Amino acid sequence: MMATSTNPLSACARAVTAEEAAYRIDYPLAHARSTRVIAFDESAAQTVASVAAVGWGQAQFYTASSSGDELVTLSGEPRVMIAEIEHSDSVIFAATDAMDPGAVASVGAACRERSIMTAGLLLLDSGPLSGTTLAAIRPYVRVLLVPADEDDLFELLKAIRA
Amino acid sequence: MLRPDINDLLTQTGPGTPMGNLFRRYWQPVLHADELPEDGCPPVRVKILSERLIAVRTPEGEYGLMDEFCAHRGVSMFFGRVEDGGIRCPYHGWKYNANGQAIDVPSELNNSEFCKNVKLRSYPLVKLGDILWAYLGDPQKQPALPAWEFATVPTRQTFTSKRLQENNWLQALEGGIDSSHVSWLHGGGPTGSGLEADPLFAGAKGNQYNKGDLKPFFEVVENDGGLLIAARRNAEEGHYYWRVTPWVLPNFTLVPPRGDHPIHGHFWVPIDDENCWSWSFDYHPTRELSEAEVSAMEAGAGVHSKNIPGTYRPVANKDNDYLIDRVKQKSGELFSGVEGIAIQDSSLQESMGPVVDRTKERLVATDAGIIKARQKLRRAVEALRDHGTEPAGNVIEHQKIRSVAIVLPPDLPFVEGIGDGFQAREGVPQTTV
Repeated sequence: MMATSTNPLSACARAVTAEEAAYRIDYPLAHARSTRVIAFDESAAQTVASVAAVGWGQAQFYTASSSGDELVTLSGEPRVMIAEIEHSDSVIFAATDAMDPGAVASVGAACRERSIMTAGLLLLDSGPLSGTTLAAIRPYVRVLLVPADEDDLFELLKAIRA
Repeated sequence: MLRPDINDLLTQTGPGTPMGNLFRRYWQPVLHADELPEDGCPPVRVKILSERLIAVRTPEGEYGLMDEFCAHRGVSMFFGRVEDGGIRCPYHGWKYNANGQAIDVPSELNNSEFCKNVKLRSYPLVKLGDILWAYLGDPQKQPALPAWEFATVPTRQTFTSKRLQENNWLQALEGGIDSSHVSWLHGGGPTGSGLEADPLFAGAKGNQYNKGDLKPFFEVVENDGGLLIAARRNAEEGHYYWRVTPWVLPNFTLVPPRGDHPIHGHFWVPIDDENCWSWSFDYHPTRELSEAEVSAMEAGAGVHSKNIPGTYRPVANKDNDYLIDRVKQKSGELFSGVEGIAIQDSSLQESMGPVVDRTKERLVATDAGIIKARQKLRRAVEALRDHGTEPAGNVIEHQKIRSVAIVLPPDLPFVEGIGDGFQAREGVPQTTV
């Protein structure tokens, strides 16, 4: 049995129809603000470079130095990490088991201090995940995809309007 | 954000649509068994995946699910007389068996020969547990009967309810995957008091971890049948408290357990593209549900709802603004002002409109679980459409799954730490805190 009659006096009953949905104000939503994608090892850097090649609205892509204090753009220019993430609203960590925990901690701590949203992708081809890797990255990324692949990074960036 | 064509792909489940074809690879719950309570009882209308059907239980006890309308003049078989061996249309007396095959057309001289060519489309309908399940797909590819634990434990260990939710199925499913809303909408907001107020959650040690850490971290892990979506909170001595929600394609989720309370879960079954059934269940793997638990469930506690008598429409619905209580909202007693987990969810999900326009949403990186689930659904739909690849979730191994709540050391993959805890095993209690 399915009752679908609506009470015309109810604000919700009036508002949730398909007809009313058509009156939702239509205006372009802004792109996400300053998304940063950081690869923490060479293998992850290849994935990040491949996704970056698609071309994005505002996202910027880097590899992290071993200390994490410096980020290198895909064209090879070194940048100060703090300056690069300062005005970002989300930082995406891309890493494999080969990542440097020190670099992750450095970038992660900087994001935490600035309340920057973080997400992590552990890019694994095969085999079990290292506990050391997990313990190193878990404290710093609000959400972690395990395992993730190039398509996951692409879908994530697309979904957040990067 | 989702492109309009992808939104259509995932939300449209009628006959011939790619997502509709995917749904037609699974057994889906369609009726409570007591909606056809006895042999020879009146037929019941069923609408699922945008198909209007009639369910019958013949005097011989055979279940049938067929096209709602008589082949002759299109009369609804809701008005049919259930007779020995089938159901008869009251208009001109055409009679069909449980498989929709015409077996008597009184006006025809060569009755039996005429009948051979008249058949209503029909689908298998089977009783498993307290539920009648239907399979609307290719008979040649019919999967094994459902193996979900809630439907296969003894009857006294399980309780199922359903409610009408007046929006597209995907909005409802995404609510089940979106664990980050729980601390707010259902947790009583900043006070985190909501869990202890519900008899089906109260008293679990895990509730203290929830209250102590309102900003959980999440991990989304690939699983054979779909995804494992884990919320992680701080526990004692540097340990983590994990709550792991399995999602099995396309529309099944389990809520992580709390203490020895029953395990909750959901199926979101498309009625049409603007309505779905929210099936909610509670079961315990090793013990009968107590009278108090069943009473609470019948009263709409936990994931259940209090419905309008004689219907499956919640008492609190859009016609009465979900009985929102602005005083309780303001005081924080109810964070959203709406009572009950089920109605808290439906009030917000229905408010998005019948089919939300996902081109206008502003997802953030922490919505990765939803993003990943959409990706998996899209891939499954496209693989079935383009290559005939069978989707995950319609085999027994993927259905024998449990949700888990557990405390683990910080460097352990939760999948490894939980191990067999994800497996539904007869006589083995759930892994819970």
